[in-house]
Amino acid sequence: MNRRNIWMAALVAVAVLFCAGTALAAPKYKIGVVTPSLSASEDEFRGAQRAARSNPGMIRHLVLPDNFETEQETAITQILSLGNDKDVKAIIICAGYSGILPAIEKVKARRKDMIVITAPIWDDPDMMAKYIDLSLDTDWVQRGITIPTKAKKMGARTFIHYSFPTHMSKEVLSKRRDMMKQTSEKLGMKFVEVMTPDPQAGSDVSTMQQFLMEDITRQIAKYGKDTCIFGTNCPMQDVIILKALELKFIMAEQCCPTPTQGFPAAMNLEIKAEDAGNFDKINAMIRDKAAKAGCTGRLSTWPVPVGYFFPEFSVEVAKGLVEKRIKRLDIPTLKPIAKKVAGVEVSFAKMKPNLDNYYLIIIDSIYY
Amino acid sequence: MRSRLHLQIPQVFILVMLVVLLAGAFHAGIPLGGIMGDALVRLVMNGVLVMSMIPMLNAGLGVNFGLPVGICAGLLGMCLAVNFRLTGLAGLFGAMLISIPIGAVLGYLYGRLLNRVKGREEIAGTFVGFSFISIMNFFWAVAPFTNPTMLWPIGGQGLRPVIGLQGYFAKVLNHSWSFRLGDLTVPFGMLVFFACLAVLLHLFFHTRAGTAMVATGENEVFAGLSGVDVKAIRTLAVILSTVLAAWGICVYAQSYGFLELYSAPLMMAFPAASAIFLGGSLGHRTAVIQAVIGTFLFQTTYVISGPIANALLVPEVAEIFRMILTNGVILYAMLYEGGRRRRVQG
Repeated sequence: MNRRNIWMAALVAVAVLFCAGTALAAPKYKIGVVTPSLSASEDEFRGAQRAARSNPGMIRHLVLPDNFETEQETAITQILSLGNDKDVKAIIICAGYSGILPAIEKVKARRKDMIVITAPIWDDPDMMAKYIDLSLDTDWVQRGITIPTKAKKMGARTFIHYSFPTHMSKEVLSKRRDMMKQTSEKLGMKFVEVMTPDPQAGSDVSTMQQFLMEDITRQIAKYGKDTCIFGTNCPMQDVIILKALELKFIMAEQCCPTPTQGFPAAMNLEIKAEDAGNFDKINAMIRDKAAKAGCTGRLSTWPVPVGYFFPEFSVEVAKGLVEKRIKRLDIPTLKPIAKKVAGVEVSFAKMKPNLDNYYLIIIDSIYY
Repeated sequence: MRSRLHLQIPQVFILVMLVVLLAGAFHAGIPLGGIMGDALVRLVMNGVLVMSMIPMLNAGLGVNFGLPVGICAGLLGMCLAVNFRLTGLAGLFGAMLISIPIGAVLGYLYGRLLNRVKGREEIAGTFVGFSFISIMNFFWAVAPFTNPTMLWPIGGQGLRPVIGLQGYFAKVLNHSWSFRLGDLTVPFGMLVFFACLAVLLHLFFHTRAGTAMVATGENEVFAGLSGVDVKAIRTLAVILSTVLAAWGICVYAQSYGFLELYSAPLMMAFPAASAIFLGGSLGHRTAVIQAVIGTFLFQTTYVISGPIANALLVPEVAEIFRMILTNGVILYAMLYEGGRRRRVQG
C-alpha cells in the first residue's frame, strides 16, 4: 500500500513539473498572421509558415478568402476574430489588398493595446498611419528609377514597358511608368510602351500571355537583344523569362522581384523537397540555367521574395514591441532586424516625410 | 450546309473589323506574314477547345459553359505525363491518352448531373465549372506529385501554379512538319492534326450514335419515340465534349509552353463560346466547319488588333471593340434564339 502511495506521489510530481515546464516554455502571448491563400500567393503563405516554425506555439496563421474582392466581409470577420482572442497581442497582415483598414479600425477601437503591422495593405496612407503601428511596403515608385538604372548597367539600349489600361489607371503603377520613362531618357535609353489585352477587364489572362508571346518576338526583331523588358503583371513573367532565355534580351526585375516568380516555370527548375525554400540553392540553380542558355548577366532580381521576407520580419518587430525591447520604430532600429531576416542589405525610406511609421523598402539585387 | 453558313450580323461585323484591321496593319507597316503565321497557330491552339462544344450543342444541351471540367481532366493528364517524364510527341499523345479515362469519368458524372437539370444546362454548367475549379485548387495544392520541376519552389509539396513544358512537350505539334514561306511560318503538322480531328468529328455525326445525338438535339420526344435512349445519348455527348476539351487544353498548353493550374481555366469557356457563335452557331445544331471558321475569325482579330492598336496608339479602343465582340456575340445568339422561340410559339 505504502509503495503504491509513493508511486502515486511520484507520478503527480512528474505531472506537475511537466505542466509547469510547458507553461514556462510556451509563449505567454500569441501573434496573428493573416496572408492570402497558397494558390493566391505562395510567398506570404510560406513566409507565415516559416515564422510559425521559428516561433513554435506563438503564431496563429489565418488565410484570407481566395477571391478577396468579392468576400471582403469574410476577411473582416477573420481579422476581428483575432482581435477577440485575449492571448493575441499583435496582428500582422501581409495581404496586398485594399479594404482591410475598416477591420483594423474596429480591432483598435476595442483593444487599444493591440499592435498592428501591415506588410503591405493598400488603403489610404494617412489613415493607415493613424491606426496602424507600423506599415510596410515595397518602394514601388522608387523602382521606377532603380530598374532602368539596373537595365542600363546590364547593357540595355531600349527599355520596353508592357502593361494594360487597368494597371495604368492605378496611380502608383502609372507614376512608376513615368519615372521609368524619365530615367530611361536621362540615361540615353529608348523607352517603348506597349499595351497588352487587359486581363482585368474581361479578356482572360491567356489572351494577354499569348499576345506577349507573339509581341516580344516582334519587338526584339525591331530593337535588337540589348533591350530590357519589364511587365507590370505577375502572369507576364513566365513568358518574359522564357523569351529572354530564347532571344537573350535583358530582364532586370520582375513586377514582384523574387527568384520564385517566373524563373521556376520558365527554367524548369528541379527544386527537390529538401531544397524548397532554400534561396541560396535556388539562386545557384537559376545562375546555372542562365549560363547554359547563354544569358549570364542578362537576368536579375531580388535574392529573396519580399512577400516571404515580410511575415518573419514583421513577427520579429512585433515580438520586440510586445516584449518592450523596441521603443522606437525608426530606420536605425528596423535595418539590422531586416538584414538578419533577409540575409542581405535592405534599404528603408519614409512613405511621406511627415509619417514616421510607414516605410517603403528595397532589397539589394542579385545578378545571374 | 449552305443555309447554315449564310452571313449573320456578327460575322458581317467581324469581317468588316478584320478588313479595317488588315488595312491598318498595311498602313502601319506591320509584317503580315508573321501575323498570319500566329493566326494559324492560334486557330489550332484554340480550335480543339471550340470543337469540344459541338457534341453537347448537337445533343441539345446548349453551350458547354462547364468547359473547365474537361480542361481539368486534360491538365491532370498532362501533369501525370510530366510526372512520368514523357517527352516529345510521346509526351503529348501520352497526356491525351491518360486524359481519356479521366475525362470519361468526369464527363459521365457531369452528364448525369446535367440530365437532372434539363432545360437549365448552361447555367448549371457555368456553376459546375466554377465549383470544379475550386475543388481542383485543393487537389493541385496537396497532390502527391514527385517530379521536382512541378513542385512549389518554397513549400516543396503540391503543384506550382505554372509548370514549364520545355524539356517535355512544349511546341512539339507546332514544330512538327512546319515550313517557312517567305516570312510566314506554316505549322503544317499542327494543321494536319487539327484537320484529322475535325474530319473524325464530322464523320462521327454520320454514325448511328452521332445521328441519334443530332436527333435528340432536334426533337427529344421524337427521338425517344424512335427508340433512342435520350438520357444515355445526352450523357454520351457530355462525355465526348469533356474528353475533347481535355484534348483541347493539351494542344493549347503544348503550344503555349506552360501548364497553367489553379484558377487559370476559370474563364476559358467564354472565348470558346464566342468563337462558336461567331462561326454562325445559334446554340443548337452546329457543323464542325462553323467551329473552325468561328475560331479563325475570332482569334485572327485578337492577333491583329494588339500590334495595330499599339502602332496607332489607341490600345484602349481595340480593347473595347474586342470586349463588345466577345460578349455581344453571346448576347446576339441568345436574343436570336429567344426571338425564334417566340415566333415558333406565336
